[in-house]
Amino acid sequence: MSDIVKQKLWEIISRNTSATESEWLQQKGSAAPLELMTAFVAAPRFLAKKIVEVSEDEQWSLDTEIPGFSVNNWSLVRLSRVWLLTQLDPSDKSEYVKNIETLFDTAEMNELVALYAALPLLSYPDQWLFRATDAVRSNMGFVFDAIALHNPYPEKYFNELAWNQLVLKTIFNDKPIHLIEGLANRANEKLAMTLSDFAHERWAAGRSVGPQVWRLVGKFMNQALLADMQHLFESQNGDDRKAAALACSESSLPNAKYLLAKYTDLEKSVRSGELTWTQLEHS
Amino acid sequence: MCLNPNEAATNPSHFEESDETAAAHRDIAWNDYRDLIKGMRFFDPHIHMVSRTTDDYQAMHQAGIVALIEPAFWVGQPRTGLSSFKDYYSSLVGWERFRSSQFGIKHYCTMGLNSREANNEPLAEQVMEILPLYIYKEGVVGVGEIGFDDQTPAEEKYYRLQLELAKEAKLPVQIHTPHRDKKKGTERSMAIAIEHGIDPSWVIVDHNNEETVKSVLDQGFWAAFTIYPFTKMGNERMVKVVEQYGPERIMINSAADWGISDPLAIPKTAALMKMKGISDEAIRQVTYQNAIDAFGKSGQIDVSDFENGYEVDQTAKFHGNSILRGGQQPAPVKESLVIR
Repeated sequence: MSDIVKQKLWEIISRNTSATESEWLQQKGSAAPLELMTAFVAAPRFLAKKIVEVSEDEQWSLDTEIPGFSVNNWSLVRLSRVWLLTQLDPSDKSEYVKNIETLFDTAEMNELVALYAALPLLSYPDQWLFRATDAVRSNMGFVFDAIALHNPYPEKYFNELAWNQLVLKTIFNDKPIHLIEGLANRANEKLAMTLSDFAHERWAAGRSVGPQVWRLVGKFMNQALLADMQHLFESQNGDDRKAAALACSESSLPNAKYLLAKYTDLEKSVRSGELTWTQLEHS
Repeated sequence: MCLNPNEAATNPSHFEESDETAAAHRDIAWNDYRDLIKGMRFFDPHIHMVSRTTDDYQAMHQAGIVALIEPAFWVGQPRTGLSSFKDYYSSLVGWERFRSSQFGIKHYCTMGLNSREANNEPLAEQVMEILPLYIYKEGVVGVGEIGFDDQTPAEEKYYRLQLELAKEAKLPVQIHTPHRDKKKGTERSMAIAIEHGIDPSWVIVDHNNEETVKSVLDQGFWAAFTIYPFTKMGNERMVKVVEQYGPERIMINSAADWGISDPLAIPKTAALMKMKGISDEAIRQVTYQNAIDAFGKSGQIDVSDFENGYEVDQTAKFHGNSILRGGQQPAPVKESLVIR
């Protein structure tokens, strides 16, 4: 990871800390690994409990360095922990990996959140793949969120199987999928078909599926998915009908166009750009 | 760590006499007590949630318990390796803390090597090596529960080592006092703590009874009482202790665990105290404030996290994303035959 990122993180930290706090951090950041790791753990004992303030410029420049990486709404402790991790010397790979693994092994919930949020910044990114997929298996909501939402690591390193698990579990837990980085880039046919099966199970149980999940199927429309679109067009829920219209409009299948054409108002609002997926992101 | 009812040794008490009013109240159902504690908030400074169900969490939340402390203890099945300890400690600051948050209860813990397992010396030695990793964790409000069980030399050795650890980390100490030979064990625990230069106001002596309380208070320690059916304090006896000694430096806990115990021990005792005419302020001290004052010395308790109810959404926000749902567990209708 470039020094620029460390520098930018530090700028945000220094704007959000008192002199005592930033001195403490700076001293720990340049300490030997064990002391640095202890500081990672003990950070809440030395830092104020607050959400950091990040300017738009700062956010933008972080995003330029690491697309999709953001520290918006992070607590000071989380940001400081992530910064401390960037201060660990990576030159000896086995030592570096051992230290990070130790932090993972003994981490409490907030430490796990910081560790997963830091994945896009750590050296030897392939090394953390198992940990990252393990976070997707976690039932601790905050830990799951730390890997799944606003985190560019999965898009870059997950294989298709792991990626699809991540997206499906986000949907299964009724969390907003538009907060997943790379959602459109990594859309795939297998995921679209699994989604159809999932929707059928939900419908059979008398439960519903968040309308925006259908943004994942447009490009892979087929007979089975068209039947789902038909089902959605007939839904009592207006958002379901909107989702079907948007998904059909994204398909190149003639039958999808025909189906959409039956609902002239919806077709019009999609075509005019008045209706977009953004409107369905609240639900 | 609490006594198995099967090895019950009753602690005879000066105060045990049959009291007519108390006898009459025994028949009153919990539902009738509820109104008495309406609007009260409770803090249970000793309860082992890893051994409890989600029903308990819901009942506790409903009864006004807003925060709790889960001391590290003996889980019933002896541990055979370091990893079991490690995973247990991690669960106290990880999974169990999260589970509690889902029910709107703020979860703290104390970390320590319990006295029973201190007797497995080769393992105890390894545990002492990893303990420092855990005591500095966020939300760890003390070293505990430590002290004596059989009062063996090994127990003493690890008790002393952990007192030093607490001193080093500037953490309060939560002392488990033994079930057998309690009075001597309690005195010995206190004497050793003082010998190590620990200020008694940083030490919570747990599982007191009528026989131990006076000396504990006289020496400046906090006296915790465990309301636990059959083997520890009953709550009618507890009311009398508060009547006699007042609320200062006294706190009540449930120590509910894998035995027959009651996670609602605090709200129930509060209701009983209210019925017996103990002031609201005194009730507040022994069921809420004193625990916060004692364990708050760790610097890890921020009452704004729970004093107005523990908002799950707030926490979710604090974790750096704007999802305001998916946190709290929905409450199913328990009386309904139909499960949806």
